[in-house]
Amino acid sequence: MTSLAARKNLAKLGNMLLNIPMLLVILAPLIYTLMISVMPPDEIYQNVLIPSTINFGNYVKAFTHPAYNFLTFIRNSFIVSTSVMLGQMITCSLAAFAFAFLDFKGKKLLFILVLATMMVPGEATIIANYLTVSRWGWLDSFQALIIPYLTSAMGIFLMRQNYLTFSRELHEAAQLDGCNNPRFMASIVVPLSRPALGALGAYVFLNTWNQYMWPLLVTNSSSYRTVQIGISMLYDIDAESLGLMMAGVVIVIVPSLSIFIFMQKQLINGLMAGAVKG
Amino acid sequence: MSLSDSLKTRTAKPRITVKKGFYATVEPYLFLLPAFTIFALFLFYPFGRTIYLSTFLTDKLGNAKVFWGLGNYRDLFASSSFWASVGVTFQFVAIVAFGGLIAGLTTSLLTTRKYPGVTFASASYAMPVAIASAAASMAFRMILHPTNGLLNILLGTQINWRGDPNWALFSVSMVTIWLASGINFIFISAGLRGVPDELYESASIDGAGYWRKLFSITLPSISPTLFFQIIINIISAFQSFSQIRLLTEGGPGDATNVIVYAIYRDAFFNFRFGTAAARSIILFVIVLVITLIQFSFEKRSVHY
Repeated sequence: MTSLAARKNLAKLGNMLLNIPMLLVILAPLIYTLMISVMPPDEIYQNVLIPSTINFGNYVKAFTHPAYNFLTFIRNSFIVSTSVMLGQMITCSLAAFAFAFLDFKGKKLLFILVLATMMVPGEATIIANYLTVSRWGWLDSFQALIIPYLTSAMGIFLMRQNYLTFSRELHEAAQLDGCNNPRFMASIVVPLSRPALGALGAYVFLNTWNQYMWPLLVTNSSSYRTVQIGISMLYDIDAESLGLMMAGVVIVIVPSLSIFIFMQKQLINGLMAGAVKG
Repeated sequence: MSLSDSLKTRTAKPRITVKKGFYATVEPYLFLLPAFTIFALFLFYPFGRTIYLSTFLTDKLGNAKVFWGLGNYRDLFASSSFWASVGVTFQFVAIVAFGGLIAGLTTSLLTTRKYPGVTFASASYAMPVAIASAAASMAFRMILHPTNGLLNILLGTQINWRGDPNWALFSVSMVTIWLASGINFIFISAGLRGVPDELYESASIDGAGYWRKLFSITLPSISPTLFFQIIINIISAFQSFSQIRLLTEGGPGDATNVIVYAIYRDAFFNFRFGTAAARSIILFVIVLVITLIQFSFEKRSVHY
């Protein structure tokens, strides 16, 4: 019997060891970026992998040097991501409420229309959207970054799935008690839907924070640029400051990673609902 | 009892009917109004507008000027650079879809058993889902640096990964596989958890080894998950943009000029919005066809 236990432990050890090369591959980009960001500049050009001394000069420069504007980029991204997140929580909850609890003409057709929007890749409409917002004079503004993303089929779908788990009798009982729909929603449905709202919120915030193509098209001045555009522009400012660029990458990854670490469960629930769109 | 029967019995239950006033009739639409306003302005309208623009020659500001019918499509189909772009896109999509799947399958198989550190390993394998493609692309610019980058240091080479036409597509594919590995890990792991333990137990009693179990139990059991995941990979690979823009700008030459990047080039470098719109519609049709393939497959596989 001890040999069986020993074999099991050996299998566990083998499994652990097999993970090491794979972990190195997956984590290497992050670890390497961190190393370069704190490395004295001359060591980067000597192809050193682990810095001899740790130097936070690049971070100080990224935050304080006026040419880089990192604080502005971070502020902009927070404003945009938070607004889009709250907006989607509201519009998607409202629409999902109608689809889950109310009866009305055209319900099926409208719901199919919502699902059909999932089949249109955002890249296929991005040129027309760019032309629209530029005609409205919205280029370089927060409304251009926020308003087009204030709802999503995935969010409506996710919230509706959640509401369908509520019993219909609950709604009927509320109506009999003279509780109107807005009050029923605010005092019963929303508080009971916190997990789904958390999943939607984490997913939407992260997606907006990570967005690249749309902010690239609609912003020109650094006062409205978001973090992803900010780091990618570092090359145009100073292609020699490799360390500074990597510090920039670390700075914009930290919020994404924090959401991932602290809200992993919600995020993965949101992702699994959202992956249908790809 | 089938699913549709159970739905019928649920709705057939006697329900309290309240006589509807005007407000009660319009109320549902008020709930839908915010979402549908956004959809109308930024999804339905631009979709129609894209179809419209694709049949016009435009000026530099994107205003439709001369009706051109299917001219933009005809010109695209007659140009060799369009077909080169389609070819590059399909190569890229194929490498990324299978590469992502293999990465996700490997990492999820490595974390099925319990051992010290498995939680950390699982979190690490899922982590790329949280990383922005733009941020990852910037990190990989350093990794792929021709003289001071990690990859050349480790290999002892001086390859110009991003600038060499033989390596550029491979490089952007590697970055994209790394980015896609997280979502592949999450879905395939969930699929693996759904395989009943009894299957493995009876196979163990029959003396089947690890590889035998992998190929005759695990992979067949999760084949619907793998199929779904490959479709997700294909659709998201078709939409890749940041990696291309930040690593190769579609080059060298047209070596990495995938469809979405070609749309961007047409519109913002050549100001040919009509052609860009036609390419957008072609992208839409490709994604639609792939989605429909997935739907029809799912419909058939419900009965297994």
